[in-house]
Amino acid sequence: MIKLDNVTKVYNNEVLALRDASFEVAKGEFVFLVGTSGSGKSTLLRLINREESPEKGDVWVAGARINNLSSKDVPKLRRKMGNVFQDYKLLLNKTVFENVAFALEVIGSPKHVIRQQVPAILELVGLAGKQERFPNQLSGGEQQRVSIARAFVNRPLILLADEPTGNLDPATGEGIMRLLDRINKTGTTVVMATHDRTIVNMMRRRVIELDRGIIIRDQARGVYE
Amino acid sequence: MFSRIGYILRETAANLTRNLTLTIASLLTVVVSLSFVGFVFLIQDAVANQLFEWKDGVEVSIFMSADASQDQIDAVQRDLDQSTLVKSNGVRFVNKDEARQEIKQLFPNTPEIVDITKAEDVPTSFRIKPSSTESSVISAITNQFNKRPGVILVRSADQAIAFIRKISSFARWGLGVGAVSLLAAAVLLIWNTIRTAMFARRREIEVMKLVGATNWFIRWPFIIEGMVQGLFGAMVACVIVWVGKNLWRSKVIGSFGSSLSFDNLQATASQFRGVMLLLLAIGALAGGFASAIASSRFLDV
Repeated sequence: MIKLDNVTKVYNNEVLALRDASFEVAKGEFVFLVGTSGSGKSTLLRLINREESPEKGDVWVAGARINNLSSKDVPKLRRKMGNVFQDYKLLLNKTVFENVAFALEVIGSPKHVIRQQVPAILELVGLAGKQERFPNQLSGGEQQRVSIARAFVNRPLILLADEPTGNLDPATGEGIMRLLDRINKTGTTVVMATHDRTIVNMMRRRVIELDRGIIIRDQARGVYE
Repeated sequence: MFSRIGYILRETAANLTRNLTLTIASLLTVVVSLSFVGFVFLIQDAVANQLFEWKDGVEVSIFMSADASQDQIDAVQRDLDQSTLVKSNGVRFVNKDEARQEIKQLFPNTPEIVDITKAEDVPTSFRIKPSSTESSVISAITNQFNKRPGVILVRSADQAIAFIRKISSFARWGLGVGAVSLLAAAVLLIWNTIRTAMFARRREIEVMKLVGATNWFIRWPFIIEGMVQGLFGAMVACVIVWVGKNLWRSKVIGSFGSSLSFDNLQATASQFRGVMLLLLAIGALAGGFASAIASSRFLDV
């Protein structure tokens, strides 16, 4: 589903963000990317999302090499992926329903699909009945659930999550992890960057550890350290 | 498809009202610059119409002195009849009685002038239609006859026409330069409005890009916003030009009646329609162009 082949990424010709990174993620896998801030976790996610292009090496997503994907084809790639962020990136002037519907609207889904899909996905993430709330009226955990609903509403092949529990207390974070686990069980590949030790140790999934841009560990059913 | 058009229109309307002051500023600039453009074209049409009318009737007048002998008059008449510079049958002799009649027509409100003018003092003259209205032909005629015995003066409307041409090209240049620089200002203002609108919505745009919206989908509302600004400004400019045209007709052309034959110093209805369409097209294109550039510049994936 995702394959990196000797990928090197340098920012501004001087900051080495990633060096010779190679790994492969199979369909339906759940992978943690761990490491300190600046170790290259976010760069990895951005490469998979084609927000960055590597200086060296190849990035493959869903069977296609995406290094030099033309900007015309980027939207097609993005529709196969959902993104979840530490700061949720919700639109504050839109309701919960509108935030999730927005993801379908901008890729041109017809109205009846939106009316049917959005309530279903909100039910799945546990926000049924809060459709008409605005993000500011929700707790952090609930906002992250909206963000996950938005990322998952068009049933992507891959879900990329960058520190999704970073702003949440442990109990709420656990809830979010259960939700990501459920999504993973539907066959969606999940790649999650985190430095939340408790969560990694609790989940016991594959762990790829980065240190200053180099992959130093790739372990199935791993722990944080 | 329908939800998409609905989305684009909703977003355009929201954008236009969100940045009201900037929108108004660029709109006003469009209005003023396109009004200038409109007047430039109308002046050009009006002057061309008037000159076309005049050119057809350009006459050269050769005035004979009041005491010119009949021989001198006959000699001039003979040379004119044979000249290739003169249209065949294009020579008319105005005798003293006819000349007095003309003076009467010229000064209908002051009959005293006619009374004090004695028939013997009034110069006779030849009215000539030149074979062409080229100024070289007209000056050739002038040079040939103004030194002839008995001739006191050769005159033509040539210089008057040249004068009108100069004035109109002066006005056209002045207004044209103003129009172009204001149009550039309008394009820059629309560009800035769109940029500001995109900056205000950068979060939304970021999310749109992440969920896989195409660049064109993101761009359209902004491009249409720019076009609407340009088009709306052009409409207001059309109204201003229309009012200006009517004032010109009623207050300037109309006030002289038809005695001065300036009737044609205005654009025809079809020319006016053409100018209106041109203004609308320029407005929409300039707005669309500015916003297309702005929205591409700030949409790097």
